[in-house]
Amino acid sequence: MIFNEEQSMLQDTVRAFVQEHAPVADLRAVRADVNGPSYNLELWNQLVELGLPAVALPEQDGGLGFGYMGLLAVLLETGKTVMASPLVSSVAAATSLVQLAGTDDQKSLWLPRLTSGEITATVAVQEGRHYSLSAMQTQLVGGEINGSKSMVMDLAEADLLIVIAKTAEGNLAAAVLESSKADFDAQRYSLMDGRKYSDLTFTQTSVAPGNILGEGADRTAEIEQALNIATIATAAEMVGGAESLIERTVQHLNDREQFDVKLATFQALQHRCAEMYCQLELVKSAVFGAFARLDRGKDIHKAASQVKALANDYYQHISNEAVQMHGGMGVTDELDVGLYLKRSRVCNQLFGDAAYHRERYAKALGV
Amino acid sequence: MSDLNTFREETRAWLLEHCPESQRQPIVKSEQIWGGRNRKFPSADAQSWFEAMSDRGWTAPTWPTAYGGGGLSAEEAKILQQEMARLGCRPALYEIGIWMFGPALLAFGTEEQKLEHIPKIVRGEIRWAQGYSEPSAGSDLASLKTKAEDYGDHFLVNGTKIWTTNAQLADWIFCLVRTNPDAPKQQGISFLLIDMRTEGVSVSPIELISGESEFCQTFFDNVKVPKENLVGELNKGWDVAKELLKHERAMMSSMESMSEKEEFSLVDLAKQTLGVDAEDALNNAEVRTKIAALDMEMQAFAQLNERMFYQHKAKQSDPRLPLLLKHIGTKQLQRKDELLLEILGNKSLSWESPASSHTEHTVTRNWAFDKAHTIAGGTSEIQLNIIAKRALGMAS
Repeated sequence: MIFNEEQSMLQDTVRAFVQEHAPVADLRAVRADVNGPSYNLELWNQLVELGLPAVALPEQDGGLGFGYMGLLAVLLETGKTVMASPLVSSVAAATSLVQLAGTDDQKSLWLPRLTSGEITATVAVQEGRHYSLSAMQTQLVGGEINGSKSMVMDLAEADLLIVIAKTAEGNLAAAVLESSKADFDAQRYSLMDGRKYSDLTFTQTSVAPGNILGEGADRTAEIEQALNIATIATAAEMVGGAESLIERTVQHLNDREQFDVKLATFQALQHRCAEMYCQLELVKSAVFGAFARLDRGKDIHKAASQVKALANDYYQHISNEAVQMHGGMGVTDELDVGLYLKRSRVCNQLFGDAAYHRERYAKALGV
Repeated sequence: MSDLNTFREETRAWLLEHCPESQRQPIVKSEQIWGGRNRKFPSADAQSWFEAMSDRGWTAPTWPTAYGGGGLSAEEAKILQQEMARLGCRPALYEIGIWMFGPALLAFGTEEQKLEHIPKIVRGEIRWAQGYSEPSAGSDLASLKTKAEDYGDHFLVNGTKIWTTNAQLADWIFCLVRTNPDAPKQQGISFLLIDMRTEGVSVSPIELISGESEFCQTFFDNVKVPKENLVGELNKGWDVAKELLKHERAMMSSMESMSEKEEFSLVDLAKQTLGVDAEDALNNAEVRTKIAALDMEMQAFAQLNERMFYQHKAKQSDPRLPLLLKHIGTKQLQRKDELLLEILGNKSLSWESPASSHTEHTVTRNWAFDKAHTIAGGTSEIQLNIIAKRALGMAS
């Protein structure tokens, strides 16, 4: 439930790096370059040099052995400056998929290149407007993919694209495509958070032999687990963002004077900030709980839904409050709070919105 | 074997020998043993368990043996607590003197005061009540008006205290009184011990919206209090009160865990009451969503507590986190109560009609009683003030 010494030192290292090299201005640059990369490639290379793609995996899989709690330490910090990076798409989602669902051969083929940062990968899972695993339509039958996917992150830079689809038996399967060679239609666009996403259409897209994770064995449970990891990783970044927003808002209220007093002295504002802080520590505790369970090898199906639903609702609330309390400046693009506001809404749609996760949680709760 | 392991073995053996089977059943309210001149034991077993514990000073495990306490180290006391929990031993004594007053008296009392009062608390001979709030001094406690005037060998006390829990059963009361009306608010207050049998003390119970009346208003009409009953220095009572408040949170949480708890599972009660569909999902989508949402937040609250526990263990406590507990915990409790009422529908509306069951009445009474939790011990509004100033550093 708390970081050990190594994880704390990792957090300090990443914090120092992000604060110095990846301020919110970096995201603005990514946003401005509409046809450019999904994230700052130079910065990503520096994170690779820090070893971050390998942070979570155990040493026998080529990882650094910090555990997923180590990845949490990283994501809390990158979330604070809404830094664009493939940490969720490649490190949390795709790498976990290969590690959990891959055969030994597949793991030895891809994991070393993923953990060394030589390549990145992304995952196509969502379809249509709302993320829902149970409503998935895309089919993987006879080595061919048919269907369409939405909101795929960081595709242009990804060497591998892992497509989640239903098999003829109704199981989940994960097919690894080399994105430069595979035959599918991609439409790339920017969303309001300044990052790039793609919608994909697969028409009889063939999957190379040996490129279906698990090679014929049912990997539904492993795929769900990897997506749970991606879900809590998204929530971890959101918590970092919410924490930064509260700091920024309190700072503003302590600085700004109206009616000859600091805004922070008004009780109406104090109480709203205090409520935001309560929400922050609740969801942060839930996130720590989920990552700690993950490292202890416990099931996180229910925990993932708890964490994501809370992160969605609280970040939405906190970002709304932050804009309001910044007054007129809060609705200008010049101020960073607007970027967090938009990022919160994009994150809401990644790996399931609050309604989806409350429903999923209710089912797991047996109600 | 380390000393602590030896202590654990010996403690377990001693508990097995001295705690009768009947005292290892979940406690019910009517069988709780409170201290006091008129204390009663519900059974011979209860009495022998109580006496075994108080003879060893284990009703107050960490207090010095010189005053009848157990003299245990913090580690040993934790082991005792763990072993009692493991065997399901009932708490031997329920007493505000143990939870709150005793620790403050040990810190601030004179040797004579400690020798006079502490052993009686350990042995459950005296029941204490707290006299802090007044009708016009609630959240703004330091504005209290009950005055103690210096009459040479005694103080003359006049005024009234409210929310004095179980004052009608108490033998003594510790009070905050004004001894200097001219000093700034907190600097004219003293901490005084008053025997409830003194002439001029009277008590009247307050009926609450839950139908209960364990709270009282206590009146002091020309009550003569000997000078030796002053704890700490004259006009420095606020310091004693602050020490005591530190123990109040511990008390409230131990009261929570010791009180008779009829645990209502929202899930079970909702399914029984509202029914389920073919897929075993609750027949009421809105209530289902509310249950899921509340359960997530209650889990997060448990995780916050767990996180604090691990931080404490690693000596990395974040001092901001304890400030959040009361506000979040009480708010969640009230949300759960409201949801239970919603589930029970019109069966949740009666106090004691034959049309509703015992469970339904309990839910309803808890709902009403729990309204006090966001008020007592520092209102939620005060909690939010504290969070804003001390956790967030907002200007005041």
